[in-house]
Amino acid sequence: MVNKGRLKMALAAEKGVDFQKLHQKKVAKQAQKKKVQKPAANGGAEDEDNLDEDEDEGGAPVSDDDDNSEDEEEESDIEMAGAMHDESSSDSEVEMEKKIERKPKSSLKATKAAAPKPAQDDEDEDEDEEEDEEDIPMSDLEDLDDDEKEDLIPHTRLTINNTTALLASLNRIAIPTDKSVPFATHQVIISDEPTAEGIEDIQDDLKRELAFYKQSLEAAKKARTLLKSEGVPFSRPNDYFAEMVKDDGHMERVKAKLVEEASAKKASSEARKLRDLKKFGKQVQVAKLQERQKAKRDTLDQIKSLKRSTRHRPPDFAVDYANPLTERQESSGDVGTNEADLFDVGVEKELKKHGGQKAFGRGGREGGVNAKRQKRNEKFGYGGKKKNAKSGDATSSGDMSGFSARRMKTGAKGKPAKTSRLGKSRRQAGGNKY
Amino acid sequence: MAAVYKSLSKSSSSQKAEAPANGVRKNKQRVLILSSRGVTFRHRHLLNDLAAMLPHGRKDAKFDSKSKLYQLNELAELYNCNNVMFFEARKGQDLYIWLSKVPNGPTVKMHLQNLHTMDELNFTGNCLKGSRPVLSFDSAFEQQPHLRVIKELFLHTFGVPQGARKSKPFVDHVMGFTFADGKIWVRNYQINEVEAGKGAADEEAAAAAAASKGRGGKETDISLIEIGPRFVLTPIIIQEGSFGGPILYENKEFVSPNQVRADLRRKSASRHNARAEQQVERLARHGDLGLRTSGGKKAAADALDARELFA
Repeated sequence: MVNKGRLKMALAAEKGVDFQKLHQKKVAKQAQKKKVQKPAANGGAEDEDNLDEDEDEGGAPVSDDDDNSEDEEEESDIEMAGAMHDESSSDSEVEMEKKIERKPKSSLKATKAAAPKPAQDDEDEDEDEEEDEEDIPMSDLEDLDDDEKEDLIPHTRLTINNTTALLASLNRIAIPTDKSVPFATHQVIISDEPTAEGIEDIQDDLKRELAFYKQSLEAAKKARTLLKSEGVPFSRPNDYFAEMVKDDGHMERVKAKLVEEASAKKASSEARKLRDLKKFGKQVQVAKLQERQKAKRDTLDQIKSLKRSTRHRPPDFAVDYANPLTERQESSGDVGTNEADLFDVGVEKELKKHGGQKAFGRGGREGGVNAKRQKRNEKFGYGGKKKNAKSGDATSSGDMSGFSARRMKTGAKGKPAKTSRLGKSRRQAGGNKY
Repeated sequence: MAAVYKSLSKSSSSQKAEAPANGVRKNKQRVLILSSRGVTFRHRHLLNDLAAMLPHGRKDAKFDSKSKLYQLNELAELYNCNNVMFFEARKGQDLYIWLSKVPNGPTVKMHLQNLHTMDELNFTGNCLKGSRPVLSFDSAFEQQPHLRVIKELFLHTFGVPQGARKSKPFVDHVMGFTFADGKIWVRNYQINEVEAGKGAADEEAAAAAAASKGRGGKETDISLIEIGPRFVLTPIIIQEGSFGGPILYENKEFVSPNQVRADLRRKSASRHNARAEQQVERLARHGDLGLRTSGGKKAAADALDARELFA
């Protein structure tokens, strides 16, 4: 049964095609005749006038459409008849086939129903005809003489753009997508502006893809509002599970890829950071070391100068720092030195305190400074170089504190009464010149 | 009894056939998806990706012939399909796609380039298998007749008809077709709905929400995530019939990939050719000067040559 139906259908289809061609020719001839006759037999009705104008302007398309419509109707009638015979087989494909054949008819109706569409078509064709004028098809030049033909430079590829036939076949298959049918039947959204305008350079991947994305996003938004207004379910509920285009394995792979990419990115950025740190860290370290050394030198210098200054200080100074104001008032002449002294004394005090604490810590005994240890340290040497410790240096030789002009002038006579010089050990133990 | 049933069913079915012509006609499409022999694995994967998205598609075995494509019509009718998407591979590298309406055309042949299958792309988007896509067309598709025909064919092939057998009831992806640079760029995105964030866009969304409140939908923001595959199509010809008939449109700008490859080869060969020519010229010059031991012109014997004088 099925085979029989198929065969019949095939036959009918073949017939249909043949018939169509024949019929097209016939109708074309008729249309031409009509064209010739019409100016003569002008009824004066406005509609007809309009039709004529259309034909004059748009050329073939309108008449072609008409041809097709008649053509299709007849054809589909035949198919219908064939289908009716086959109905007994009650095959689903028959129904299908019939639908296909019926399509053009109703689609034509739809396009006819939509008033603005034909006008638009005409406009399009006009444009196309203008474009076609740039290239002249060889078929149009057949009237020329042979001599003239020799001068022609034929293009290897002709522009074939048979707009009327294109539109005819479009009308034959078109599914209505205008506002007369619900959006859900076709779900087609046409953007408002050509997307190509938004793309400056087609090779620029990022901008190009962005333009595509924008077009689709706009479409999705429009579609959602349209579908929602028609009451068609749009978004998938969270508890709706069904097979997806990409299976779980694929998505797993995608995820793994993403993770890998992210981790690679992180690792590389960390490595870069480390590299940078290494580069700068060296400099920072050097700077820090230098700073530390400088600080150390400064404090050492300070201590040195402090020691020296305390060494040359008059004996009553120890009293003075308890009451510094009186000192300053008395000897306002050398305020600078006094101020330095004042400051240094404070530092010395601090240093002493620290030293004491240090000793205390080390000795582990209570009772302040371990005097014996200190002595022994000094005697036997503890820490640092002792050689040349007593030899003079630039500061000591430049130190004129012990010099007095009066004494120099008086000479040996004017020598102050000889103080009894202590023994060496006691002198050293005293630490001071005195 | 059977006869009664038959007559009843006949009358009812004939009514059914009549009814849609008056009212809303049902959009029924079925697509036969198949490839020629000699497709590469990427072409095959693309075919599978597309077939996964088309619940109204019928995938068939590879078609054996490249010259007798009209046989596809019979094949499609056998499978009860009114559309054909045929992948024709040439030389194991070029892919041409034919889209056709089966009984009586039109057919469009396109060259497929820049192919990236879903598998390669690693996009995070995903959608239901067989959900109906929103087809987003560039407005350029409305401007020229041949593009309108192509658009219609895309609509029939890639648009899943309402109520198709395995289709899912929700809309969760968009197929974008853009005409740029004389080519058609095809993209596929998932529609991702996220709760509308508090921001500048929120006011618009709030307004829209107020409008849609009656339907009780809670307003969400839409973003797209690409699913794949990606490819670019260059239309080559449009035929009036299905795999046959007169050519209605031919793309003048299309350059065959064979041509491109030949040009490239010629370019790379030109350097060698120039050198070979140079060598021949040099030999000829030497021959003319009599500098070659064999062949070429011998220099005329000079009367004052030592060999002549003291011979």
